Amino acid sequence: MQETRQKELVNGEVWYRPGDDVPNVPTKLFALQNLCTDCKMCEVACSLIHSPEGELNPVWTRIKIDHAPQVSRVSKDGFGFMPAICHHCANPPPCAEVCPTDAFYYDPETQAAVIDQDKCIQCMECVPGCPFDTVFVAPTGELLKCDLCGGDPACVKACSTRPEMLNAGKQYPRLPVLFYEEKAAFGQILRQKPEARDEVGIMQAMLSKGKVSSAA
Amino acid sequence: MEGGLLRVDLTTGTIKKERIPHALFERWVGGSGINDWLMWEHFLKHDPMCDPRSPDNIFIFGVGPLAGVGSGIGVKGRLTFKSPCYGIFGDSAGGGKFPYMVRFSGFDYIVVTGKAPKPVYLHICNEEVTICDATHLWGKGCEETHEMLKQELGDYPSTTHTLSIGQAGENQVGIAGVVSDGWRIHARSGGGGVMGSKNLKAIAVQGNGGVKIDNPNGLLEWSDDFRQKLDGNEAAYGFKRRGTLGAVEMYQRIGGNFWRNNQGALFRGEEVRSDNWVKKYHKYSEVCSSDCYIACDGRYKIEGHESEQAKKFVGETFRHPEYLTTASGAGAMDIRDWAEVAHWGKITNDYGIDNQDLSCSIGFIMELKQRELISDRDVEELFGKPQSLEWGNIEDIEELVKNVSYQTNPFGWLFRDGAYWGALRYSEQKGQNFMKYAIYGKGGASFTEEMRPFPTWMNNMAVASRGSDHLKGIGLIEKFQRKDLSKAYFGTPIAGDPTVPDLKGACTAVLENQVALINSYGVCLFHWLLDPLSYAPESYYGEAYTAVTGIDRTKEERMLDGERICNLEKAYNSRLGLRREHDTICERWMHEPCPEGPNKGRVAADMFEQVLDEYYEWRGWDKETGLQTRKKLEELGMEDVADVLAADNAIAGESRSGRAVHVEMKASDDPGIPD
Amino acid sequence: MITVQAEYTARFKEITQITSETIQLEQPHMAELAQILTTKYGERMEALLIDPKTQDLNTNGTLFVDSTGRRLFIDDTLADGETVSFMVGIAGG
Repeated sequence: MQETRQKELVNGEVWYRPGDDVPNVPTKLFALQNLCTDCKMCEVACSLIHSPEGELNPVWTRIKIDHAPQVSRVSKDGFGFMPAICHHCANPPPCAEVCPTDAFYYDPETQAAVIDQDKCIQCMECVPGCPFDTVFVAPTGELLKCDLCGGDPACVKACSTRPEMLNAGKQYPRLPVLFYEEKAAFGQILRQKPEARDEVGIMQAMLSKGKVSSAA
Repeated sequence: MEGGLLRVDLTTGTIKKERIPHALFERWVGGSGINDWLMWEHFLKHDPMCDPRSPDNIFIFGVGPLAGVGSGIGVKGRLTFKSPCYGIFGDSAGGGKFPYMVRFSGFDYIVVTGKAPKPVYLHICNEEVTICDATHLWGKGCEETHEMLKQELGDYPSTTHTLSIGQAGENQVGIAGVVSDGWRIHARSGGGGVMGSKNLKAIAVQGNGGVKIDNPNGLLEWSDDFRQKLDGNEAAYGFKRRGTLGAVEMYQRIGGNFWRNNQGALFRGEEVRSDNWVKKYHKYSEVCSSDCYIACDGRYKIEGHESEQAKKFVGETFRHPEYLTTASGAGAMDIRDWAEVAHWGKITNDYGIDNQDLSCSIGFIMELKQRELISDRDVEELFGKPQSLEWGNIEDIEELVKNVSYQTNPFGWLFRDGAYWGALRYSEQKGQNFMKYAIYGKGGASFTEEMRPFPTWMNNMAVASRGSDHLKGIGLIEKFQRKDLSKAYFGTPIAGDPTVPDLKGACTAVLENQVALINSYGVCLFHWLLDPLSYAPESYYGEAYTAVTGIDRTKEERMLDGERICNLEKAYNSRLGLRREHDTICERWMHEPCPEGPNKGRVAADMFEQVLDEYYEWRGWDKETGLQTRKKLEELGMEDVADVLAADNAIAGESRSGRAVHVEMKASDDPGIPD
Repeated sequence: MITVQAEYTARFKEITQITSETIQLEQPHMAELAQILTTKYGERMEALLIDPKTQDLNTNGTLFVDSTGRRLFIDDTLADGETVSFMVGIAGG
């Protein structure tokens, strides 16, 4: 597991291949960052769910889209966007590891690591503690972390399906940017088309080398 | 529902913060509706006949209630002002992240009046508003201005988004646009010229405040439903991938393109009339205005191997050309290579100038040269040096863009307000009538699509409140022969038949109301066009509007809201002295037969007057003068507007002595020809 | 038996992977042409061609015309040698 995380850290990848052991959380957020259009729908939806009643405000989001020059696999020039999502890391997650008051606990329903705001002393150790920069600070000082919306993530619902990728006239499956799936079900998506699993694998590999572009 | 309103007087440097009360949303919906009202109120206190470049003119930026709240219909900000190029009502829409960020700053509407003594930019950071010195930004293009402001203001408390003008706006060019985030232009009507005349280089905004939503769960449910609808719409995927570019091939089949200043209706270049852009150019990523489920935009980078001409622009990056960039570049000026068309889009954006008006100005002078109506000596007089004026020569075109943007030679001065005024001034100067080669519609605004076979489109061009334009009326039903839509709207398929005049004026009237609603919500038009019945602004979008604002309305009431907004824009123009004779189009469209394509031989004059009559009928306006009637205005609850019009002798059937009526439409002070 | 030429642009070109083809019809009906194309190119073609609500040809965001530029509907008849263009598009920009 350590090795997997290390690899992700180095590549800035959020991708788990179908055969990979996805640690700890039975269902998981996935992102295909090369398809992200920076539309902010996930941010807005997250904020609508999590902000104080009736107010929409991006400072309350637990997901952020950024220009990703150093990690984007499509871009050599700072093109491309990447939603920074919580990876729901293996036990113990690094954010929890650095917490001096043990304010993190696993939600029994979703098994997502969430913050007990009563225990939290807002020391902000977890902010740099997260290797993926996905713990955020609200204007009130409250620490914000993805809680998977109790098992029905609003960001995933808000993410629109993108046109399929094209490479040498071949068409790949049409996908949204964000997924929330069980490992097995995610594999099924990839198998929807004959040889889709291979294609997606190949596609990912090619994307990492910048050989195909996202179809816009 | 309430909104923040910021009033900045640049002459005195005063900044006032006000609230837009709920009642104003009830009456004017939001977005462009409230913008129009703010402008109307302003010109009750100031002379509506003022020079648009004077400090008395008003410059308004506004976003509607649905913008930036996660509806998925996109975000459009709207500028409203008196147009410096056409001298009439002017407004312009644009996307990007600027309007999205404006909402979180707490000010949905920004009103700028007066004139700063030196170049300034406006920095809005939540409640804190400062007028800052912009001398270091003066003379910079839009992209550079945006980058510099981003550097200067940083990423705290939020990222910086900007609205700026390029060199064209600084030099008060009438057809200059305003550019959001350095790469999305609010092109029409000349907002850039107004900003330039106020010495306002840019508006930068940062914000992390909240937006009150009346029913957050209702909004989430609505937007989930809308996403599912769009994800199930197969045609949307074509649109996601190539934006409006698909129209090139389509118009090629139905004879709707525009070639060499409309001497033709079909593109000639093998490459530009095909779909090669999508195939050949590496598209790096789709990008999106914000809050949009479609994301039709994309970025490109020219690598040099795409074509011979592409070698000149290696490394150039920008957004992919849209249909009208292509129609103005590859059409009006006959550029035949994609890389060059893309470059044309990039430079007009960077100097901040409307490529519709500019391409028709350039096309006009190229056509005079082609017809040998002007000699080499005339050309030297215009440009101060010999100029080839060959069709499609990108080096030449780039120079001409600079001439107008920097106002460096007589050509630049003559054509600073677009093709109509340029042609008129040049004809006067030469003592010859060149007007039959100028392409324009109402107000002297140019447009680069073939008009003659499409009665609703030509009617749009003649009646649009902001001057000749397609985005006020959308000739969707007849241009795309939507007999099914016609049945749904009017109970008969005839409006979907472009060969007869029936119900074409009605289409303009009804669709103008719907478009006014969409603009007032502050969202994009394109989603609606993908399925006009299912995504109707008065019913389906209206539900989202209700979730955000709490203002509930029936379908019929919403249509009346849209009609009210159209009537207010019309009323402002009537105060300026516009009458039926100003609802017109150019001679080429009117009398010259369409030269080619399936509609060869059609002229606009065949149906023009009949369609215009019908438009006034459906609007409830007076056919003879084109003026509004008190009856109609009272139906819409606009007695106050009717009274103002009556005092200005600008209402049908009520003539009284009072203020003198100006019937001459005039662009602001003629620049004349310096020695 | 008649022969028609089908031309594809934009989204249609991506689905069919060709720009045009000749198709033989038993009956000179648009309905038959639509049937042949959906069978040949599958569900995405069907989603583009047919509006499930009306069972007529899809009109939203698409335009199917004959060589005179007239929009075709499902009950239209086709002449021998006719060219039918399948297009997707919204103008503006």
